This record gives sequence, C-alpha cells and structure tokens, in this order.
Amino acid sequence: MNMTVWLALTIVLIAAIFIPRMGFLAIYKTYRATRERELVEDALKHLLDREQHGRQASPESLAGTLNLQRGRITRLIEDMETQGLLESRGTNLHLTTQGERWALHVVRAHRLWERYLTDEARMPLGRIHGESERREHSLTEAQLNDLDAALGHPTRDPHGDPIPTREGTLLKTEGMPLTAWQSEDPVRIVHLEDEPALAFEQILAAGLRLGQTIRILDRNPQRILLTDGETEFRLAPAVAANVSVAPLPESEAAKANAIPLAELTYDQRAEIVVLDEAVQGFTRRRFLDLGLTPGTVVYPELQNFFGDPRAYRVRGTLIALRKDQAAQIWVKPV
Amino acid sequence: MEANEILAKAESLRNDLSTGFRDEIVKSLYTEAENIAKRAVKAATDKKYDLDQKIDRLVTSPYTGLPIMLLLLSFVIWLTVSGANVVSNGIAVVLFGIGDYGRALFDQIGMPWWITGFIWDGVYLSLAWVVSVMLPPMMIFFPAFTFLEDLGYLPRVAFNMDWLFKKTGAHGKQSLTMAMGFGCNAAGVIATRVIDSPRERLIAILTNNFVPCNGRFPTLIMLATVFVAASFPPALTSFIAAGTVVGVVLIGVLFTFLASWILSKTLLKGEASAFTLELPPYRRPNISRILYTSIIDRTIFVLWRAMQTAAPAGAIIWILANIHLGDSNLARMIADWLNPFGLLLGLDGVILLAYIIAIPANEIVVPTMMMVYMGAGMMINGPSGNSAIFDLLVNGNGWTMLTAINLMLFALLHNPCATTILTIYKETKSYKWATLSVVMTLGTAFLVTFLTASFARLMGWA
Amino acid sequence: MTNTKTILPTEHCETCPAFTQLEQMGIKVGDFDRVVALAGNPNTGKSTLFNTLTGLKQHTGNWPGKTVTRAEGGFEFNKMRYKLVDLPGTYSLLSASQDEEVARDFILFGQPSCTIVVCDATSLERNLNLVLQVMEITEHVVVAINLMDEAKRKGLEVDARSLSRDLGVPAIAITARTGDGIHTLLGAVADVIEGNIVTKPLRVHGTPEFQKAVNELVPMIEQMAPGIPNARWLAIRLLDGDARVQKALSTGELGDIVSRQQRADVQFSAKMSVEGRQ
Repeated sequence: MNMTVWLALTIVLIAAIFIPRMGFLAIYKTYRATRERELVEDALKHLLDREQHGRQASPESLAGTLNLQRGRITRLIEDMETQGLLESRGTNLHLTTQGERWALHVVRAHRLWERYLTDEARMPLGRIHGESERREHSLTEAQLNDLDAALGHPTRDPHGDPIPTREGTLLKTEGMPLTAWQSEDPVRIVHLEDEPALAFEQILAAGLRLGQTIRILDRNPQRILLTDGETEFRLAPAVAANVSVAPLPESEAAKANAIPLAELTYDQRAEIVVLDEAVQGFTRRRFLDLGLTPGTVVYPELQNFFGDPRAYRVRGTLIALRKDQAAQIWVKPV
Repeated sequence: MEANEILAKAESLRNDLSTGFRDEIVKSLYTEAENIAKRAVKAATDKKYDLDQKIDRLVTSPYTGLPIMLLLLSFVIWLTVSGANVVSNGIAVVLFGIGDYGRALFDQIGMPWWITGFIWDGVYLSLAWVVSVMLPPMMIFFPAFTFLEDLGYLPRVAFNMDWLFKKTGAHGKQSLTMAMGFGCNAAGVIATRVIDSPRERLIAILTNNFVPCNGRFPTLIMLATVFVAASFPPALTSFIAAGTVVGVVLIGVLFTFLASWILSKTLLKGEASAFTLELPPYRRPNISRILYTSIIDRTIFVLWRAMQTAAPAGAIIWILANIHLGDSNLARMIADWLNPFGLLLGLDGVILLAYIIAIPANEIVVPTMMMVYMGAGMMINGPSGNSAIFDLLVNGNGWTMLTAINLMLFALLHNPCATTILTIYKETKSYKWATLSVVMTLGTAFLVTFLTASFARLMGWA
Repeated sequence: MTNTKTILPTEHCETCPAFTQLEQMGIKVGDFDRVVALAGNPNTGKSTLFNTLTGLKQHTGNWPGKTVTRAEGGFEFNKMRYKLVDLPGTYSLLSASQDEEVARDFILFGQPSCTIVVCDATSLERNLNLVLQVMEITEHVVVAINLMDEAKRKGLEVDARSLSRDLGVPAIAITARTGDGIHTLLGAVADVIEGNIVTKPLRVHGTPEFQKAVNELVPMIEQMAPGIPNARWLAIRLLDGDARVQKALSTGELGDIVSRQQRADVQFSAKMSVEGRQ
C-alpha cells in the first residue's frame, strides 16, 4: 500500500518535471530563453540610443544600464557578437545592420505600446513607460504591424518621440532642450525625456505635459521659471534639459485665444477651434465622426445633478461628453 | 502592379502628408454635408426644439432629474405589484381548479396513483404556479418598460448616472444595460455591446446580475406583499410592497457600484474610457408595436422558457417527494441535510434545494419551494391568496421576517440563471469570466445573507 | 422567428459568384432575387423602416465572428423578392469600432445590389456625412429621408429634389412609421438596381495636398485590379492606413470583387433577358 503511493507520487513528480512544454523543466527553459532575449533586446536598445545621441557605447555603459555584473556582460557581448548583432572596436560597441534592425523593432514596439496604453487603455502618463518596458519584448513583426494599423499609424509616442516605421526609418526628434531656448516667445513642449525616471517624475509633478504651450519668464542658474498663462512652473536646469521645445505651429497659435469646451457656461455658444493633440486614436475619430470638427458651433444645453457629464448641442443633436473629454476640445465663444 | 508596391507607396505618401490630414478628411465631409443640408432644408418657424428641450431640462435638471428617475422606477414597480395582485389570484383559482378537475377525472377512469400524481401534482402544478406567478407582473412590467425605452428616456438615465459610474471606473452606458437587465439578465448581457471599451464592457457583463430580472421579480413581489406589507393597513399594502421592492432594487444598484469599483481596482484595472452618448429626440411611442414586442417578443418568450424548465423541475420535485424512505421522503431528506447551512444564512434547506433545482431558470424558485413545503398529497391545491401562503410558510414551516428578508437579498444577489451564464460565455468567449460571474455573485449572496442573519441573531431579532 | 422557407436554392443563385460570397458572410441567399443593405445613423428610425418593409419575416443573429447583432428579412416588390440586411447604426464608416467595420465590410465585400441610407430629416447635416461616405464605396445608393412628420412638426421643410440633385443619387422623403413614401422608395431602389436610374455620386475632394496623394494612388490600384468600381475610396483608405483594406489588397480579395462583379453582371443580364421573353 505504502509502496504504491510512493511509486505513484514519484511518477507524478517526474512527469511534472519532464513533460514537454508543460513540465517545470520546460517552463524554466522557456523562462531562461525569454529572459535572455529581453537582455539582448535591452542591450540593443541601449546601443541604438547611444548611437542616436552621437555617443559611444561601451561594456561599462551597458553594464550600468542593464544593472549586471561585469562577467555576465562580457558573456552577453560575446553571445551577441556570435549572433552578428554587434561588433566591438576597441572598447567601443557598435550595432551591425542586423542589430540595428532588431533594435528599431524593439523601439517601435515600445513606442507603439506607449501609444496604445495612452490612447486605448487610458493609463496615466507616469505608468506607461514601465508597462511598455515589460510588453516590448513580446510581439512579432506581423503583430506589431497590426497594432500599428489598429492605432491608425501614429508617428509619435506620447512623449513626442518618433515611432520607427515598418521599413525601419526613424525620424529625428524635433525641438531643442528648454535650457537652450533663448527668446521669450511662447514655445510648445514637443518631447519629455522619460529617463532618468526621477527627472521625469519631477517634470510630471510640476504639471508639465506634452503639447503644452509655455513661455519662459525668468532664468538663473538655480531654476527656470515658466508659465502657461495661468500657473507658474519652476524647474531645476538639469531637469529642464530633459524638456524639448519647438516654436509654435500655426494651429497652436489659434489655441492661444481659445478656452476648453468644458469651461463654457450654460447655453453659451462657441465655435470649435481645434482638438487637443492629447486626444488621439479612437477617441479623436469618435469626436470627429460626431461632428466635433473645427468651425462647428456648439453650446452646452443640459447639465445633471453631478455637473458631469454635460450635453452639448452639436449639429442639431444632443451629445453628452464627460468633463475631462470636453476639456480637450478648444473653442472660441461667439 | 504588385500589392506591396501600392502599400509602400501609400505609406510614403502618408508620411509626407501633414499630420492633421485625417481631421481634414472628416472636416471636408462635414462641410459638404452642411452645404447640401443648407440648400435642402428651410426652417419655416423658429420653435425648433422647444418641447423636447423643456422636458429634457426637467428630467436631467440638477434638482428634479434624480427624483423623477426614482419616481418613474417606483411608479412602474407599483403598477406591476398592484396590478399583478388583482390578476394573479384570478388566474390561480382558474388554473388550480383545472388541476382539481383533471385529478378527479384521472381518478375516475382508474389511472394508477403515480401517473395522476406525476402529471397533475408534479408537472401541471408547477406549470400552473409559474403561469399564475409570472404572467401578470410581466404583462404589466414589460409594456411599461418598453414604453419608456421607445420614448427615448433611457439615455437620459445614463446621462444622469454617468458620473457615479465614472467614479467606479465603469461606463455610463452600463445603466442602459442594467435597464435591460430588469427584463432579462441575458438580454442585459447582450446589451453591453453598446460599450466600446472591453474592460468596461466586462464590468457591465459581470455585474448585470445584481439587477433583479423579471424571473426574480415575482419572488420579490410575493415576499414583499406577504411579509412586509401584511402588517400594514390594506389601503397601504400595494405602496408598502412596491416600496420594499424598490428598496431591494436600490440595494442591487448599490452592489452594482460596489462590484464595479472593486473589479476596476483589482481584476479589471484601468481608467474610465471615453464616453460619448447621443441623447436622441423624444419619439412618440407606437402603442400597438409596444404591445406586440413586449407581449410576444418578451413576455411569451420568457414565459415559454420558464415553462420549459418548470415542467421537468415539477417532475423532479414530485419524484423526490414520493420516494419514501422510512417516514420521510427524498426531497425532505435533502432539504434536512441542507438545513444547517441554510439556517446559517437565515434561510432553510428547502429554499436552498429550490435554488439548486432552479438553476436553469430563477422563475421557478417559488413554485419549487412551495411544492416541497406542501409535500406530495398533503395539500393537493395550491394555496391561493396571500394569507394562505403566509400561513403555510410561517405557521407550517417556521419562517420569520429574517427568512423573508434574507430570501429577498438572496434572490437579488445569487448566481445568474443557466441562460445568462451561457450568454456570458458566448459574449466573452471565456470560461474564466463565465465562472467568475457565478463565483462572484454567489459569494456575495452567501456573505451578505450570512452577515444579516448573524447580525439579526446577535441583536436578538431572530 | 425564422422565415427561411426550405426551398432549394434556384440554379442560377447556386452558381452565381456574388451570392456564394454572401453566403460566406452568413447570409443565406436562397429564394431571394436581390440583396439590399440598410445603413444609417443610430436613432433615425432605421429599424422602424426595417420592420415596415419586412414585417414579421425577419431573422436575427450575430455577424460571423463579431458580437454585433445582425437582422435580416425579406420582402417582395413588383414580383421581385428582396433580402433586406439591417446594418448596425453608425455615424461614420471611418472609425475602427466593430459596428462600423461590419457595416463597411458588408457594403464593400458583400456587394449588396443597392444600399439604402436612412436619414433623419430633422438633423440632415449629421446624416449626410454618412451618406457621402457610403457613396464613396458604392454608387448603388438610395437615400431615404425619414421622420418627415417630425420635421414638419418642428417647422422644417425638406426639399428631397434638391438633395437628389446635389448628391447625385435618388433621395426619397418617407415616414417609416406611417408607411408614407415607402412605395416611391422601393421604386427608386428597383430603378437603381436595374440601371433605369444612373447615379452620379458626389465626391468630396478634401485639401489639394490630399487630393494629389489620392490621385497618385488611384492609377496604381486601377492597374492592379482593372475595372474596380471604388479605386478612389480604396486609395483614401490606404492613405489612412486602414488595416482591413491593406489586408484585402495583399491577399487579392479586392481583385476577386471585380471578377465577381463582372460575372454577376453577366448572370444578371442573362436572367433579365429570359424574364423579358416571358
């Protein structure tokens, strides 16, 4: 009796370990392979990032970014060289054509995921980078193309970074660091660097967001003073260097005199000027399809107990919109 | 010309276009539409939206919007309760009369007792119960509800309630699906298709069961009438009963919000998505169409489904009650076995047995319960009239106010019927969510009834 | 609720390629001569018109692979039997929502003989947006201006002839609730299908920059699939990056549409001449 039980248990145990695909061993092997692939891809990303910024990558910089022991890094670099992904010249590491292709694929995955998490899953901006880091390793080329199409082929991620195309071309990041902007003319924030995370946190905590129009009020070596017309923001120059700005495009100039739709008073008529750049993807299309196009005259007609949502008369029909959505439609009272 | 060449060309052209070109496409479509419409439409007078607007300002106003909503709900339920009461007794008398006649006829021609019993005390009795308990409330509730639906009032409800849903991480259109749930939870689950975001749609699907459907309304109405309202003067009975049912419905709404909030903080984490809702102009409902759709499409459909499960359930109960073991029977024995657990929840073993048999359709809970209580042959007639039911339950089977209240709570919160579970599986294409819908609701029901029972006992009320 | 009589499919329908394609999309074409699609914005009385036309002869289910409700029914008009397919109510055909995808795919790949777009007479501007989009895909379009009674009550005068002229397709004023104008509507549908009315759908061109891009793509598409009826619309969709259209292009599905259309034309004229002789 006892013998049989032990025998059965042993068989079950052995099976649990060795069964193909579902056994512990197989699971561990898959885990190892996935982990290895993630390391390779993170290394490729680091190299691409360095190359784009015109800086050299070295085993030290790689070890710092990936947070790995020196010995592990050496093995990783050797592996990648055998796979034809990188070449070391002296102490410097360079991507091969094949390596660059793969790196661009990962960057594309990362930025498309960021776009998806912002537009479709409506995750707060502070959380999307970490989530995308986890997801960027999981997609094949074809799946990525589908995601790209589903999102309507976006060109920039929510931080303003360009998304590589399926052919692997990468547009240049536009704009210049805020610290380099000398004039007092209003500028638009075109990019928020999300690394290092600490600086990014500070930028977000200060209340700055992508697409915002700001003006520099004052600067000294300790801090830069900014305004968006209402609130004043203070940033340390080291942090401000992670904010890229560009001169206002024409559409943004129109926004300057406009107010958000949510701020209209009851029955106040206004003409839509522009939809905020922060509204992208499905929501933007839905807005447009409902007739919320620039030039349309709208007014709030109904208000409920909670004051949110409100219903607006749009081209003869009553459309209810939540406050945070109506805040993204810029109008000019008529 | 190769397809890939065209695709590549399209992509390069797209990258050259200015970023706002999609906005421009829609804008030019609308501009053209505007011009054409301008040429074709002449406004003869200026009284465009007058009446609609006045009504809308009333039913969505910060002060009157929510009270009007509650009043309408109460009115529909009161109409159902008081109207059903009148008709129900009449139907019961006729149907049980037919039962007596049939039984007598079978005895006369010398049928064996078990055929007579199986057909008339099993299958027929349970069918008669279902028809007399369910048909009247449905015939009043469904048309009243369809009227509000066709009028265009429901989107206003969604408009009034959206803020609360947003706070719980759900979508305002969930209130539309809940409204459908009053009719039938399976229909409510299908109605969640109006919600675009998959996360919010899942929340709406999983919580839809907290709205009592028409199969459960009769249980609530009976308990509210027989127990809660019985101690009030007869003139007030229908109001008290309706008020009680409204209260139960509001508890259900509360649980909907609670469950939605918990789900969007745990399993279905995420932020509220975009909410755009058209508030269509009011339309004069077409009365004959309302009667047609609500009676043929809904009432007959739901009743037919209930009868299909009621007949076998009646047969099973009769068989269980007539397999004698010693001086007890099988049904009693199962009920006795379930009894300790039932008592823990403030219910009893018979109620739990009824619920197990009623998994295919909640409508047959009351009839099943009654049949077990009555036992085979003990009482061949259905108790017609409320006082008879009260007598059977309280004096014959030891019910208290706690039993009644907990049964109402249990009826509100327990697992969806088989049809709804199947619909959830079909809509989500996932066993996981279908299972969760059962576990979540059943868990809530057990927990809540257990807590109320314990609390009542602790306070010495029961 | 099922209405499909168990009549074996007639011979020419069995072999008719357009109809086999329809069958694949979940619509059984057996004893019907023509397929008509019903499109329109939500809340325009589309389902009232559907009920008025089909009565109790309707069948509801899901679109294959989608959680979108599909309703279809049949009616007979001037001795021709029509199958009416109710498309989901949408504001547009541009977004990626399931409803819009279903509606668009049916008009494009299902190739109904004619599409009726139901409009609300009291908010035409919004409704015409959809009409313009449907007309980009197919030229077999009839516009039904519904809720004329309501428009009158609100003091609006709607000139259907002006609409027909501007849109280039028949626009018929109806009140689906009472049945007013239904006969004229069906007459127009029959005329469009038989070619007695030749439609000239209005095209919206957009910005010059966009138009230029479209014009570069159109000849390429026409070269790949000669005789394709809606090259312009496909070009616009490709520029927009529509995944479904991209896929249809790479798999050759679009080419099939053309050949199917041409074979269907032959089938149909053969049938018409037979009927003419009788």
